[in-house]
Amino acid sequence: MAARFGLAGGIPERRVRPIWDAIDSRQFKASLKLANGLLAKYPTSPYALALKALILERMGKPEEALGICLEAKELLHSNNSVHVDYLTLSTLQIVFQRLDHLELATLCYEHACVKYPNNLEIMIGLFNCYVRECSYVKQQQLAMKMYKLVGEERFLLWAVCSIQLQVHCSSTSQKLLQLAEALMKKHMASNSLHDPEALVLYLSLLEQQEKFDAAVEVLSGDLGSLIGIQEDKLRIQGRLLARACNYSAATEIFERVLVSCPDDWEVFLCYLGCLLEDDLNWLKMDATMQICSPSFDDNGACKANHLSNDEFNSRISSAVSLVQRLQTDCNGGFVRGAFLANIEIERRCRLCGTKHDDNFVEALLTYFYRFGHLSCFASDVENFLHLLTLEEKDKFLEKLMKTLESPPASPLKALDQAISIFKVHESLGVMFSLPLTDLEVTTKRMLQMYCKNLTLSKDLDPQENMHGEELLSMISNILVVLFWRTRILGYLLEAIMVLEYGLTIRRYVWQYKIQLVHLYSLLGALPLAYEWYCMLEVKNILVETVSHHILPQMLNSPLWSETGDLLSDYLKFMDDHLRESADLTSVAYRHRNYSKVIEFVQFKERLGHSSRLLTARLDVPILQLKQKANSLEEVECIFENLNCGSKLLEMSNEDKMKILTFNEDFHARPWWSPTPNINYLADNFEEGFPWLKEKLNKKKKAVEEEGIVKKLIERKSLLPRLIYLSIQISPISLKGNVGNGSLHDADAIKEIKSLLEKYARNIGLSFDDAMSLLLAIFKGQKPLKDLGPDIISWLNFTVFVNAWNLCCHQLESPRKDSSMNSWSVVDYMLRSCISEQLTHPETVLAVPGSNLPVLVQLVAEPLAWHILVIQSCIRSMLPAGKKKKKTGLVDSLNSSYAHAVCDSVQCLISVLQDIGKWVSNQIRKSEDQDVDRLLSHLQRSSSQEELGSILSILEASESMSVSEVGERISAALQSWSAATVCRKISAAQHSLLSQFLSICESKLKLLYSINKSI
Amino acid sequence: MTTIRRFCCNDLLRFASVNLDHLTETFNMSFYMTYLARWPDYFRVAVAPGNHIMGYSKFSIAVDLLYYFFAIPNFMGKVEGQGESWHGHVTAVTVAPQYRRQQLAKKLMHLLENISDKMDKAYFVDLFVRASNMPAIKMYEKLGYVIYRRVLHYYSGEEDGLDMRKALSRDVDKKSIIPLKRPITPDELEYD
Repeated sequence: MAARFGLAGGIPERRVRPIWDAIDSRQFKASLKLANGLLAKYPTSPYALALKALILERMGKPEEALGICLEAKELLHSNNSVHVDYLTLSTLQIVFQRLDHLELATLCYEHACVKYPNNLEIMIGLFNCYVRECSYVKQQQLAMKMYKLVGEERFLLWAVCSIQLQVHCSSTSQKLLQLAEALMKKHMASNSLHDPEALVLYLSLLEQQEKFDAAVEVLSGDLGSLIGIQEDKLRIQGRLLARACNYSAATEIFERVLVSCPDDWEVFLCYLGCLLEDDLNWLKMDATMQICSPSFDDNGACKANHLSNDEFNSRISSAVSLVQRLQTDCNGGFVRGAFLANIEIERRCRLCGTKHDDNFVEALLTYFYRFGHLSCFASDVENFLHLLTLEEKDKFLEKLMKTLESPPASPLKALDQAISIFKVHESLGVMFSLPLTDLEVTTKRMLQMYCKNLTLSKDLDPQENMHGEELLSMISNILVVLFWRTRILGYLLEAIMVLEYGLTIRRYVWQYKIQLVHLYSLLGALPLAYEWYCMLEVKNILVETVSHHILPQMLNSPLWSETGDLLSDYLKFMDDHLRESADLTSVAYRHRNYSKVIEFVQFKERLGHSSRLLTARLDVPILQLKQKANSLEEVECIFENLNCGSKLLEMSNEDKMKILTFNEDFHARPWWSPTPNINYLADNFEEGFPWLKEKLNKKKKAVEEEGIVKKLIERKSLLPRLIYLSIQISPISLKGNVGNGSLHDADAIKEIKSLLEKYARNIGLSFDDAMSLLLAIFKGQKPLKDLGPDIISWLNFTVFVNAWNLCCHQLESPRKDSSMNSWSVVDYMLRSCISEQLTHPETVLAVPGSNLPVLVQLVAEPLAWHILVIQSCIRSMLPAGKKKKKTGLVDSLNSSYAHAVCDSVQCLISVLQDIGKWVSNQIRKSEDQDVDRLLSHLQRSSSQEELGSILSILEASESMSVSEVGERISAALQSWSAATVCRKISAAQHSLLSQFLSICESKLKLLYSINKSI
Repeated sequence: MTTIRRFCCNDLLRFASVNLDHLTETFNMSFYMTYLARWPDYFRVAVAPGNHIMGYSKFSIAVDLLYYFFAIPNFMGKVEGQGESWHGHVTAVTVAPQYRRQQLAKKLMHLLENISDKMDKAYFVDLFVRASNMPAIKMYEKLGYVIYRRVLHYYSGEEDGLDMRKALSRDVDKKSIIPLKRPITPDELEYD
């Protein structure tokens, strides 16, 4: 750190060091005292000021820090004699950056650069400022200036990077690339290149301009030796040749890579693609990416249709002979690529119809006989399995099952091979078509297999994966299928028991935990789901890719505080990264890793445009509004910080929606909920495999999910502003005719109307059609179910329509029939929707996927927003400064308006009382009663009595001796108990319901007091 | 099936299935990105068919050789030290569950040792491991590593770490791996 003090703004180092030491050890108070002392001695030193600002910022006093920084900046600008050095500037920069004022730091550096025109250190500092601000043009100009000043290659390459960024990120004309190429050419003519990354950058310039031949020439020449790892060089060369349509040369290059890396699957695909001259859609990747992946459709639509049959066969023969050679070279090891290659070759032949289809199944079988005992077997062949016809599928499965009759001698191999077979079954969706009894027998056999093979894991360290672990996940999946097909709750509980059992034996299996998160969410035991989610220790970048497992359920639950924690952790991670990312880009510039510069900038953009991030930014204020919805004043405070919701509206504009990125990793989600917005279990099971295949097509579902998320973001962005406007305009009606209101009022009414039109379009109808539908339901001409599944959005719409209608009176009948006003519509809709949710006779315990989340949302959203509208109306009815009136409002106003408000309050009271009764009924039973009830589902009679129930198999395993399974597993088996799990489920359900009840009670209390005041 | 290539930022969005494993730490972004920014060639990822990440690893010149594997193997590493202490350091090794027991870690460790040996001419490769992580210690021993010394409270001031080493061809007399008799504290580590 000493170097940092060399030129400490003209202050002797011995005076500064104690301050830094105190800052580094987080003794901010002490450091502030020292900094004040320093300032007393050097009152006009910008460095002393910057230090004080830095300390204040760390102490959480951003405004004071900013004031002092501005003072320092002012000194730098106004006082020519003041000492300016890199240390002062960089300290100021740190503070400005932490205060989100990058532009002020840039101004300081720009000023210093004018003052000291040839100071390279300060120029580099300014360059970094431009990097932070993404000012690519300024970066380019400054880098060129530095290049001209000192002639160093790195500055030229900084300029070239800045040009590439302009083309990549700002849709600047590609012509700029010509300029970059010319600059590099000129430099290379006199200085050549000395850095592998410089070469890669140059190649990428050529590739982006589709000058593939030129790029190949450069790479094949002397400069090519700059790339130290030969295979990396060959991969780039192969890709360039392929893009130049020089397939035979590319084939040769890829063949060379395969000879040294026979397991390189991507290169094998490139080799085959080039050999067969497929019309590959080579990714528009440039040389900065080392891999040459063409993008393959899952079904591999690439057909070498322009080759004659003879030519095709001859090329396939050469591929076969290469593969055979590779297989011989790596025989006996774990190298799978050369063997999987056979299946791929057969797939190509099959596409071209040149060979008998049987060969494809045979190739799969051969691969199974060789690698069927590896746990990656199923994922290796997964994409191929989906190409099998029904007939082939049966044949393949039949042959696989035969191997079970004569298993390998090693029990471990036999177990692993059996697991692979089960995985193939799962992958092919066999569980959806097998008869129920067969399915039930299979699960029990699998479970017995797991228990029997526990002995194999006897000597394993508890941290190691146990043998057969995957069986329990698969068993649980099949049990969920059984539940879906029969609606018998017992199956679902068994699925849970099996996973809990597995976690008792080894508590580290994250796959079980994720499955439990979803199963408990489904079962209304969300606190338990949350607990397991927390056990996954999801942090850093995983919050972006993994939080979808819990967040959607939490947002619709009464667990507001936990939801707030999840959101704030997530936003903190994202904001921190977005803030720090540019500094890391600077590190890449400094270390001359230019390909990473481009990659970092693009990655920052990708995260910055994350759909999850945008949603979270909307979820936070909405959650705050829900939490504070009982107090109009507090809600208004929230709106003060939200710019009255206007800023949130901008978050769903068309431009933002176009560049939205979806970064979630849906891979580990359960089969029945491939995306957060899909839950197959909510619908009834329908027979028919093709239908299921279509339904379970994850890729397609992911695309649909994107559409749903975009709609959701738009709705969420409209919501706060609609609430705000509803509160603002409801009292307007009391002022009389709108025409007499202020211009401001008229604008608000106009705005809410246009937002409502947008909202209606979002939920699927035009504004007029949506209104007609609401009225038709109100009049009993149409059933409630015509609203579709998203009743929350419809009811929100209804509440806001009422607020708007208070000023416009569009919904009133010409006969002034009081029952036709919009208040009545809201009351009717809330009452009907809620009572419909309460009519289910079963308890939450008995209804997986119960209506509780809907009920919670009805109360937390439309009902809460409606109470806010009521509060706003009442506040405006009361004379200013008087909170309570001796005579009731109804008496004083004597208007139908006041009556409507009173009726609405009464309606809400009765609705909430009903909910309260319903919830109380749910939690009235003791935990013991619940446990008995849950256990009874597990002990139901089975059609396959000889195998016993799942529970009995689990319980029987408890008797396995220490000598069989070892002390640790034996102790775990003893400690496991189904009753304990049932008790946890019951407690979690009770806790969830209690939290909901307390929300309802707080709203009831509020309504009673409102009722009293009118 | 290991297509081993440079690790890129987008891989961070695909490594959940490796990193959810309790023995694999998910570091903050600047940790990964600093490695990428400084030693991109030594931060590699292995990809299986269907684009599953099998694992990853990274290491770097002039500071410390670290590798790591995810659900698909990968490693991160770097090289550090001066004179006879010039060495590669393995930061982490992790392999996705379904790719375990295929000697993938061995393959990646060898790759790293080779680079340290042939390209960087290092004297030895070292790594730190939790004293309680017996499976890992056994695995490293199988790969030829010996326990060089114990570092007290190395992990968050709680658990001890073991510094394990393997000599490379440049250390002809294997001086670098003669075990130290007494444990050291983290402050005594040479490159801190």
